[in-house]
Amino acid sequence: MVYTKKSPALLVIGIIMLAIWFMADSGALSGYIEHLGGKKYKYLAELTTLPLYFGVLSVLIGGWQLFGTHSEGQWDYFSSAIAGAMFILIIAMMVRWFVAPEVAVVSKMMGKVGDTGKYIHKLLGLNYVVIGIVVGIVTVNVFRVPEWAENGVRLSRLGLKTGVILLGTLYSAAELKNLGGLSIIMIGFFVLGSVGIVLWMGARMKIPNSMGGVLSAGMGVCGVSATVAAAPVVQAKSVEIAYTIGTILLWGVGCMFIFPVVGNLLGMNYVQFGAWAGTGILNSAQVAGAALAFQPDGIETLKVAEIFNITRVLVLPIIVIWLAVWYVKREESVTETVNVGRVIFEKFPVFVIGFILLFALSSTGIFAPANHYKGKYFGNTAESGFKESKLLKADKIAVLSAEINKIQRQDRKTAVQNLIDNGKVMSIEDDDALRGLVNAKVLSKDANKILKGAHKAVRHTAKKIKAFRNWITWLFAFGLVGLGMQITMSAMKQAGGQPAIIGAVVGTLKAVLSLVVVMMFVSGSI
Amino acid sequence: MISSKNVLLSSHGTDGAQAAERAAIAMCETDASIDHLLVVPDLWKDMMGDDWLNNGSTRDRYGRYIESELGKEIDQHIARVRQQAEEKGIRYQCKVILGKPDQCLTSTCKESNYDMVVIGSPRPKGLSGLRSRMTTESLAKNLTTPLLIVPYPNG
Repeated sequence: MVYTKKSPALLVIGIIMLAIWFMADSGALSGYIEHLGGKKYKYLAELTTLPLYFGVLSVLIGGWQLFGTHSEGQWDYFSSAIAGAMFILIIAMMVRWFVAPEVAVVSKMMGKVGDTGKYIHKLLGLNYVVIGIVVGIVTVNVFRVPEWAENGVRLSRLGLKTGVILLGTLYSAAELKNLGGLSIIMIGFFVLGSVGIVLWMGARMKIPNSMGGVLSAGMGVCGVSATVAAAPVVQAKSVEIAYTIGTILLWGVGCMFIFPVVGNLLGMNYVQFGAWAGTGILNSAQVAGAALAFQPDGIETLKVAEIFNITRVLVLPIIVIWLAVWYVKREESVTETVNVGRVIFEKFPVFVIGFILLFALSSTGIFAPANHYKGKYFGNTAESGFKESKLLKADKIAVLSAEINKIQRQDRKTAVQNLIDNGKVMSIEDDDALRGLVNAKVLSKDANKILKGAHKAVRHTAKKIKAFRNWITWLFAFGLVGLGMQITMSAMKQAGGQPAIIGAVVGTLKAVLSLVVVMMFVSGSI
Repeated sequence: MISSKNVLLSSHGTDGAQAAERAAIAMCETDASIDHLLVVPDLWKDMMGDDWLNNGSTRDRYGRYIESELGKEIDQHIARVRQQAEEKGIRYQCKVILGKPDQCLTSTCKESNYDMVVIGSPRPKGLSGLRSRMTTESLAKNLTTPLLIVPYPNG
């Protein structure tokens, strides 16, 4: 079978990309960009480069696909995925560069919401990631994914996995140790707890063991992925699988919108929100979506949330083995024994090895000096690159002086006092304390802006690390738009019956209890 | 009692569909024929959801498992109707299609000269089961053959 379609779609996508590049580069879009924020519009550099590269690529390959001859083979299969990948990419581009900024403009015109002090798009987390996922969901449910794009849409998984692998370059050993420890405790408690509660509730409600098994994996570990892994092991019936996946998808999509709103209203910091989303959201795809919805212009929240996601997926083989043993013991008709080695081999997430490898490589200094995270790039003297013009002005010092008494922690208070006295950050320790203070959102927005500026004046990011951050953002945006195209109403409509009741109880318990634990025990910095 | 020579029966094992099966068998004369249409709803294509964490081998295993489960269910439905048909000396043929139930029924109906199409009633609210039902409005608009909708048992 020849998979490459003789369709003009890829060629048209390429021409649209080139048209965007041409209009941005020639200044034809200047008026519109002024409307979207003028100097505050952040994507001009991307607009004048990315559509050119991908546009040329799409036109060349699209032309060859339309006018060339194709035969069966591996290259044919890979080639058939390109149109779908570019389809996702152009949606992600449009949403990031035009739709999300337009939503922000309209939201600002509507004014701030009540006494929250926030615009509605900030409150609801309506940024390019969330809007991109919504566009994906609308695309598949209203128009269906075109046939020529079907193979490529599946590449969204590869995009997300590559994003997680690259994320490995951005952790320091201390961050990974602290976040890993926190996630093991929280995930261990909440995964085991929710699997146990589902099995207990299932027994009380007299649902079949197969349904209890598949539901407990989905509710407890990582949503749809755990359901896919556990269903054959507990011999779930087709309708039980449909119920479980429908319930999880419905719950997951709901959480992706609700969690950022709650996080904003409670003034959660990046670490708290990442830990909460990573634990409380049932489905792993929506964990990344919620993290990027909460913090679209940075990846600190994503870094925390993804460590929790990785911990969940590492727990998956253990839970599958547990359920397999549990099921075999309860079902007399099952004579097969559980092959522990095969389950671990099959279910072990290979991409986590890539994440660990990139973390290890990053620690050797291949992407940035090994002590990058320890402050190699910290410098507050002229010799180390500090510009005197970056010294804090009197008006900014006045803002900080007026707010210093709001700070409870002594190390943060001392750091701010040092900043006020010297007009610049004086040490790496002070810089870390100030970063924690910004994340904790103790001070006003203006004060936090001053602290961020002071941090930027002394701390510099290696070019390669900056590039990785950019790539990671794009890979996640690409992956999440594509995953949105795999969430169908027909699947969500299957939510119902006893699984919906158990799902609602366990999902709510998990979300509320993990929120309480995070607010009580997780601080603003790791 | 209505009698038919060439019936198209669409059923998939629910109580309502089994009532339709019994009615179709009852209305067929001894030398009549029943074409049994089993539609696997295309919602199953989406039942991998937005999984992205699993390896390819796990997804393949899941896909094969779902196929085998649906296959087993279909085999049971076929065996049940075939047995009833053979007991009465009715010629039996079956066809399995993946798609939207009403579209599949309409297109299958156009393939032969049926004198009756038989389907069951929708499941009453509150009963468990897949949410994938025939849209009677779509059938009424597109079918050119008489349509018999058998009432839900005890409904």
